[in-house]
Amino acid sequence: MDDNDQSESSRKSLAANRRDVLRAMAALGLTTGVLGRYGVSAAFGADFDWKKFAGTKLSLLMTGDENDHRALADLMPQFEAETGMTLEVTSPALGALIEKTLQLLQAAQSSFELIEFLGFLTTQQVGAGYYEQLNQYIDDPALTAPDWEIGDFLPPAMSNVGYFDMATKTVGKGKDIYGIPGMHSGSVIYFYRKDLFDAAGLKPATTWDEFKAAAEKLNSADVAGCSFIGANDFSLATVDWYTRFITTGGKLMSGSPQTKDFKPNVNSPEGIGALQMLIDVLPYAPKNVTKYGFAENVDGFSTGKIAQMVFWSTIAGPIFNTENSMVADKTGTGPVPAAPGQTPRAIQGGWGMGIPKNADPAKKQAAWLALTWLTSKAFNKYEVDKYQIDASRTSTFNDPELVAKFPYLPDSLKAASTADVIPTSHIPEFFQLNDAMNVEFNAALLGTQDAKTACDKVQAAWEAILKKAGHMA
Amino acid sequence: MSFAMTSAPAKFVFGKPENPRRTVWFLLGPCIAYLIVFSIYPLFHSLRLSFTDLTAAGGTGNWIGLKNYADLLVDPLFWNAARNSAIMVTLAVALQVVLGVALAMFFNLHLRGSWIVRGILLLPMLIPPIVVGVMWRALLNPDWGLVDWIISRFGLTPPDWLGSVDMAIVTLVLVDSWQWTPFVFIIVFARLQALPQDVFEAANVDGAGSWVTFRRITLPMLMPAIVFASVFRAVDAFRSFDLIYGLSYGGPARGTTTLSFFAFQNGFQFQNYGYAAAVAYSMLIILAGGTTVILRYVHIRGPGQ
Repeated sequence: MDDNDQSESSRKSLAANRRDVLRAMAALGLTTGVLGRYGVSAAFGADFDWKKFAGTKLSLLMTGDENDHRALADLMPQFEAETGMTLEVTSPALGALIEKTLQLLQAAQSSFELIEFLGFLTTQQVGAGYYEQLNQYIDDPALTAPDWEIGDFLPPAMSNVGYFDMATKTVGKGKDIYGIPGMHSGSVIYFYRKDLFDAAGLKPATTWDEFKAAAEKLNSADVAGCSFIGANDFSLATVDWYTRFITTGGKLMSGSPQTKDFKPNVNSPEGIGALQMLIDVLPYAPKNVTKYGFAENVDGFSTGKIAQMVFWSTIAGPIFNTENSMVADKTGTGPVPAAPGQTPRAIQGGWGMGIPKNADPAKKQAAWLALTWLTSKAFNKYEVDKYQIDASRTSTFNDPELVAKFPYLPDSLKAASTADVIPTSHIPEFFQLNDAMNVEFNAALLGTQDAKTACDKVQAAWEAILKKAGHMA
Repeated sequence: MSFAMTSAPAKFVFGKPENPRRTVWFLLGPCIAYLIVFSIYPLFHSLRLSFTDLTAAGGTGNWIGLKNYADLLVDPLFWNAARNSAIMVTLAVALQVVLGVALAMFFNLHLRGSWIVRGILLLPMLIPPIVVGVMWRALLNPDWGLVDWIISRFGLTPPDWLGSVDMAIVTLVLVDSWQWTPFVFIIVFARLQALPQDVFEAANVDGAGSWVTFRRITLPMLMPAIVFASVFRAVDAFRSFDLIYGLSYGGPARGTTTLSFFAFQNGFQFQNYGYAAAVAYSMLIILAGGTTVILRYVHIRGPGQ
């Protein structure tokens, strides 16, 4: 090779190296731009191959009623860039989601590889054997990034949607995992207007008597002293009644479905008392509270028309959103009130994500990889940061940056950690029982019957349903 | 058949012109197949389902004979739904017939510009019932709804449209009437336009007033159209689900839970598929019996009878 050839060769080599460098820089710049734009840093192990299923197209069915799908939409470009997979998301409202899910799970092959299910439906859906057992994926280092950490998920959330003992059909038991908490978990906390309480010289309520007294004192033409779900709505029974019930010593069920002595205690003194507490604060609630569901209460509180209420912690998103809420900087949170000597606690809520057993077998591993991405620490942190969605991971709740920004997080963590998995969610008749309760309690709030009559009717209805289903002799 | 069938493929498909059977089956076949797959099979499948205890959690349903139907007869929730269905059908059809006939008589006056109003009048029918339900739920919202705002501007107290058990069913009837009165109007108006005018001229000559003319001549001659529209509206009102879903979701306190909504709840909320199928078939039995009675015993008299 003469000098000219060497020189030409060197120039070509240099040009090739320069091109490689430029390509690498472009890729780095693109990735940095994507990551930087969404403020999420890559939290995945550098040695883990996230692109092993690149080119796979997956479908996810999830709820569209909360902000999870928005967070996912924000980070979709990052998901595609990091995994090489595409994810088609369908996010209907809860009712449609449940109906569609059941159809899919019973089909010959599910058209969705990932499905988000409500914690209350774990027994019904997971217990019927519709979901893939995930232990094999969790334990496979080739499929699960090392820092994904199953142990970081809130234990009550794992009990609610993760563990299921097929032999005894019991949720929260055993070692087999069928769902991963995601995209959010949560419980119920106490929201109150700091400014109104300070002006009135009141402290946030820690007992139900204080709650009622504050409601009476703060009630005015412009601001209701308190509010609650008063409509014939799912959360009337599960949030407002149940919280008062268990924090005054109530125990909803005795026995178990397995021993066929699953007996309700709705018309116990605590049950009647919990409903009576709601009736007693009606004069201090918004005029149309008996028609108030989730949206009406969130709107009412964030527009400054409600002084206090106990509610799903997930509403922290709209309440603390400085763009839309009029009370973002005036709202305080705390544990739910409780009777003296009782532990403040409320119902365990939240969602789980699983892989349908009838999904395309060729895509299940890819689906698992996507699931770990969607339930990762980075994604969970982003959800909380951007939309104040309830976290599923302990590390997210304790993240110093998030706690500094959102002071309600410790209250949410405590609530989520001590939350109570409502016993009736352990049987498939949960929604039927809930409906029976909501109807009678709504009628009591409307004034067409008293608390005792309502509770007696619910007790009778529940016993009939449980006996027919074989859970009660 | 008048089209040419001279080519071999055409002869293969359509057969010989003198024997049109193959042609008939070829043309009717897709329609029949569609009916079998989407109507007849589901009908028999749900009938079979109604004799089982199939639930979502149960997986395979066991044969239980008529137990679901026996349970229905003693279920107070079923009778509550049946009662609500009866109230809705009766009130809605009565109101829609009265209003529909009144509108038809009014537009028969052929006032200037009435064709524009007639067009606007038909718009509610074009809106899907679920949208109508959601729209009126917003309009009737007690905190920020337009209707209550207008009523209160006149110094009146708005009724508790969807919060009172008694009022909610009335609201449902009113909203349903808002949407479907134009249907009755169209049917009756078309019949009105086709009535022979010599009868009215003769009545006028005899000195019959407008009320007598309406009662003794117009109404009897409109009766076929009124019965036709009533039966159609009764069946539709009985089946109505999406309006209830959007407007009141069966509440408050099951005050607007009709049989169709009850079937939906059992099937899609409680996943009691066997029981829901039994509710659906009970609706079929009620509808079949009801329409038979109406058509058998309602006498339709023509002019001169």
